[in-house]
Amino acid sequence: MIIDLNSFISILNSIRGAVERFTTAGKMGVVGLLFMIFIAVFAPFVTFYEPSAISGRSLEPPGPVHILGTDELGMDIWSQICYGARMSLAIGLAVALISGVGGGFLGLMAGYIGGNWDKALLRTIDLTMALPSFPLLIVIAAFLNPSIANVILVLVFLSWAKPARVVRSQALSMKKQQYIISARLHGAGPSYIIRKHIMPEAMPLIFVSILNISSYAIVAESGLAFLGLGDPTSKSWGMMLHYATSFRSIYFTPYWQWWLMPPLIALILLLLSLAFIGRDMERIVDPRLRLKGDS
Amino acid sequence: MKCKGRKGVALQYATALFLILVLNFFLPRMMPGDPFLILSADAENEVISVLTEEQRQYFISYYGLDRPVYEQFANYIFSVARGDLGESIYYKVPVVEAIWTRLPWTALIVVGATLISTIAGILLGLFSARRREKASDKLLMVGLISFAEIPSFLLGLIILLAFSVKLKAFPLAGAMTPFAHYSSYLEASWDIGYHAVLPMITLSLTQLTGIYLLTRNTLVTVMTKDYIRTARAKGIGERLVWNRHALHNALLPVITRVGFMIGMLMGGAVLVENVFSYPGVGSLLRSSVIARDYPLIQGIMLVMAVSILTVNYLVEIIYERMDPRTASCEAV
Repeated sequence: MIIDLNSFISILNSIRGAVERFTTAGKMGVVGLLFMIFIAVFAPFVTFYEPSAISGRSLEPPGPVHILGTDELGMDIWSQICYGARMSLAIGLAVALISGVGGGFLGLMAGYIGGNWDKALLRTIDLTMALPSFPLLIVIAAFLNPSIANVILVLVFLSWAKPARVVRSQALSMKKQQYIISARLHGAGPSYIIRKHIMPEAMPLIFVSILNISSYAIVAESGLAFLGLGDPTSKSWGMMLHYATSFRSIYFTPYWQWWLMPPLIALILLLLSLAFIGRDMERIVDPRLRLKGDS
Repeated sequence: MKCKGRKGVALQYATALFLILVLNFFLPRMMPGDPFLILSADAENEVISVLTEEQRQYFISYYGLDRPVYEQFANYIFSVARGDLGESIYYKVPVVEAIWTRLPWTALIVVGATLISTIAGILLGLFSARRREKASDKLLMVGLISFAEIPSFLLGLIILLAFSVKLKAFPLAGAMTPFAHYSSYLEASWDIGYHAVLPMITLSLTQLTGIYLLTRNTLVTVMTKDYIRTARAKGIGERLVWNRHALHNALLPVITRVGFMIGMLMGGAVLVENVFSYPGVGSLLRSSVIARDYPLIQGIMLVMAVSILTVNYLVEIIYERMDPRTASCEAV
């Protein structure tokens, strides 16, 4: 337990150290992400209505009572944005953590152990990456019932391969490093070497892929919801886009200004924040990339 | 990297295809419920089965559902191979026919987007590489990279709101003006082009950055090579050095990228078509999702998956032919 806490603190420290080395865009990304997390976590305190409560007239323009107006059914749009942030962040985080940690672990093991396990994993990775992900996503989502758990499951299935591949090649190249070999010759077991030497080196890579996967998952979820394959009981940004664009003559009325724009802006803001952070993280963890970027 | 020959690649794509077929076959069978258990409840607590037990048995054997699963699966594979994807529940036409009538529109915008993003990407990459590290290069790079992070359907919504709703410069929906009578082919193609511009640009913007970055970075690497110095020393002029010697050698990876891009564009087209209400396969998919037209959903997904797999496979084979280095095994 103490070891866990220590490693947790060291991860936090390394994140803080990384943030200090961010570019302006990266820092803006951190601010944007923190804002989204804030409105998601404190959604009940920063909103005045339940997101699915009919609290006003239909399609009220923004005003003092409803900051961002109301939708077709008279539900407050600001509340929907705040509670929708929960949905997007939760799906992004869940998918990214499961496939980042799970895929990373598989890659680590296969890369370190090698042999037939490694070959089998490599084949599976290649196969998963050859699958056309978006059509598959649609058909699976159409047949399973569109609950959040199912969406997460499908997204994990489609996104674990990348972190596994990255971590595998890292583990593979590290295995041949002098200090690992000498540690092994001094009698260190595989679990010790993985924990003490390979894990700390692979952690930043996993972290970067977690960032990338989370934005992939957020895009995929909102895209599915936009197509009408989301969970109809949930209030996600994608569902808001779906309802707004399904509304007849939305473009001939001023309604799009406060019904369609907020989820659109929120999604773009979140994705850009994640992208800026991801790019800076990538630059920091991989010096070779930095050289490539500068050349 | 890994070591795999052409056979390995073919095997990998064949397995992917097989996996998709398996999924397509088993997904409907994993759904809860029984297609022949049709119940109706007129009054409360009074549930009447519409079909008698004999009728139920008849339907089960009629659809071949009493035979073993592997036999059903084999039948499914054979009918797919014959091009029979079943009948659309909603449109009451064969699935193949429903897709076929929509496919040209999707093909139009995908091909258009491929052309736009390739040409614009290469030109911008060339522009940027020649002004390396100057303000215009940096600005272009930051701008395009940020653009690439926004998924195509969100970008499409913004473009639609700006150009069609606000400026009213482009049509809001459709692929042709409704009820239009064209006096000439020129007029018809002008109208079609006018409707296709925004979807094409939206789609191409997502892939433009990849082409741009690849062209720029490859050019920058190529420019450090000795033969460029030789060409310069010959005094053939900067323009020829860039266009002949540098660009020529930088295009190989770009061409591969274009190939793989087509697959991604087909996925992106599904969402973009819905933003612009463009009558391609993507809109068909959305309406089939709303109508819960399962055979049609499956058919569309199969057609899309097969075309993406085919394109990617061909690209890999062609790339291997063009660049023998990729065929050899790279050391880890």
